[in-house]
Amino acid sequence: MKRTLAILLTLTMLTVTACGGGSSSPAETTAAAGAESAKTQSAEAENAETQSAEAENAETKANETENAETAAAQSITYPVTVTDQIGREVTIEKEPETLVSGYYISTSLLIALGLKDRLTGIETKAGSRNIYHLSAPEIIGLPSVGTAKEFDLEGCAALEPDLIVLPAKLKDVIPSLEELGLTVIAVNPEDKALLEEAVTLLGTATNTMDRAASLLAFHDEQLEPLTAALSGTDQPTVCLTGNSSFLSVAGPAMYQNSLIEQAAGVNAASDITEDYWADISYEQLLAWNPDYIILAADAEYSVDSVLQDENLRGCKAVDNGNVYQFPNAIEAWDSPVPSSILGSMWLASVLHGDTYPEDNWKQAAADYYETFYSFTPDLDNLYTDAE
Amino acid sequence: MKMYPNTKAAKFFPALALLAAAGLLSLLVGKYPLSLAKLLAGDEMQTQVFLTLRLPRSLMAVLGGFALGAAGYVFQTVFCNPLAAPDMIGVSSGASAGAAFAILFLSGSPLAVTASSFLGGLLAVGIALGLASAVRGQYFSGRGTYSAGNGTIVLAGIAVHSLAQTILMILKLTADPERQLASIEYWIMGSLSAITLRQIPFYCAVCVAGLTGIFLLHRQIVLLSVEESEARMLGVPVGKMRLLVLFLATLTVASVISVTGVISFIGLLAPHIARLLTRDNRLPALALSGLMGGFLLTLADILARSAASAELPVSIFTSLLGAPFLLYLILNGKGDRNHDG
Repeated sequence: MKRTLAILLTLTMLTVTACGGGSSSPAETTAAAGAESAKTQSAEAENAETQSAEAENAETKANETENAETAAAQSITYPVTVTDQIGREVTIEKEPETLVSGYYISTSLLIALGLKDRLTGIETKAGSRNIYHLSAPEIIGLPSVGTAKEFDLEGCAALEPDLIVLPAKLKDVIPSLEELGLTVIAVNPEDKALLEEAVTLLGTATNTMDRAASLLAFHDEQLEPLTAALSGTDQPTVCLTGNSSFLSVAGPAMYQNSLIEQAAGVNAASDITEDYWADISYEQLLAWNPDYIILAADAEYSVDSVLQDENLRGCKAVDNGNVYQFPNAIEAWDSPVPSSILGSMWLASVLHGDTYPEDNWKQAAADYYETFYSFTPDLDNLYTDAE
Repeated sequence: MKMYPNTKAAKFFPALALLAAAGLLSLLVGKYPLSLAKLLAGDEMQTQVFLTLRLPRSLMAVLGGFALGAAGYVFQTVFCNPLAAPDMIGVSSGASAGAAFAILFLSGSPLAVTASSFLGGLLAVGIALGLASAVRGQYFSGRGTYSAGNGTIVLAGIAVHSLAQTILMILKLTADPERQLASIEYWIMGSLSAITLRQIPFYCAVCVAGLTGIFLLHRQIVLLSVEESEARMLGVPVGKMRLLVLFLATLTVASVISVTGVISFIGLLAPHIARLLTRDNRLPALALSGLMGGFLLTLADILARSAASAELPVSIFTSLLGAPFLLYLILNGKGDRNHDG
């Protein structure tokens, strides 16, 4: 879809240029391009630098992940220099005693690393995160430093934390915070590999590599038996629908696609090229005719609204009542969180209940939350009441 | 100004034929593989898809485009302003705020969003026109026969438009960025992808009623564009007529965009294309505005549903198709005008 949009944009530009009716001559264009070139070159250089730093970073992190278990036995010696997920080298002088996190995934990771007591400020709307209520209710009342849209620079600076963890989206506020003498690392856990990087990064920065390593190991420990149990089973087609509407679906380029594949399903939206939620029509959904429709954990609409939509009559998933929602009472397992393997396991039990009973994921979920979040989850009530 | 009935007919029927062809093509294009043979054989699924999804969507594109084009003609004529568009007095921003409100606080179901945006659009324009007529009342009592004209309505409209935009901004800020904000943004971009049979009968009826009113009042609409004193001499109650005509145009626009979301450019482009083709600003231009609007939206929707694997916002194509066509007519029309003149 991006390609289509790019073509459209080019067409629009061509139209506008054509309508300019030769108001800018090629010479002018060249001159203008020349004037811009210095800027462009420096931007390109910067970009190339970032890219090479990122590549280097990815390599380093891959090594770090491989060596995670070795690192488990080692503790970090400060000062330590880490490369964060937007390619910046950051030196942390001493083990951070106070932390601020401006993003719920990093906050959740810090809790999992056993650092909830060191948090002094977190993102806004913390009260809406069930995982905080269950594992660290005391952090909900902490001062808020804003969201990725509206960051509270002064509020964050006033807390004077030893380390600030921000999402990559907030990279523009980092220079201002550093000018104030604060240490900031940016995380960008947008997919599984980046999430693993983020776990290692936070583990290194906060001297919690042992917990970070076991957090990373949890995923692989669960994946192997899951894959083994599902090998050779029939693969039903699954349409994974988004938060805002069931006419918004996850294509193969999205993180959610891996959940479907790990659960031995086939993504019905396989011809979607978009790497974000793609909007489709009723007709498209009927044409795909998936065996299952699975709603995102945070869907604004209910399973019933899909089952009762008369425009979906004739769709196998709806006719057979195979419409389910990812559990949401603890956290959204369909988003890139360390527990997302539980999402694949839950989905496997939905798609292949006979060969993969739900006890599998329930046991794993109980172990996971008891180990990393210090609470016993209520796995009989998987859904919060609709708002 | 002379009438050239034959020339008008020569432009009118091809436009009608174009719209009919686009409407027919629109019935044939879509993601579900419909086949005429299966439809005629009475295949239940094929019939269901055709009647509840494909046909309503095509109908809404034809009718919605027609209504936006005709309403655009009304706004440009009444305000004597070639840049006037239905949003000038707040209908789109009111409808957007209404839709956002439903997404946030009502069930967010398509029916609730449509109803709320329809009411939002009408409310915004109702306030704007109400304010303008209140001002006129004061002018009447203060200065005898002076009547506040387009300026007051536009000013009131701008105030209401800004207010509705502010409400929309506040609603967006309140929205959950991962769920509701995307819905609001996508609604504002406009799309015909989620239209179903159940959603549209009421709005189509309102739209047709509004359009009927506009066509019945076509003479008065043209008279509103001449000097106010002249219009009075010709027996047009200018103030009341202006409010009535704007209300009717708003009603048609609100009934369309509450179902489709905001669709840009058609209200602006279609009347210009029509006037360039007819060299006239009367009934033929009104009719042709509607036909061109319908043609543009239908074609844009065909592309929106077929250009990519996912649905694209229809407004991308309305301007992409309409703007070059308009420019072609402007550039190509210079010689003609001299010749005619």
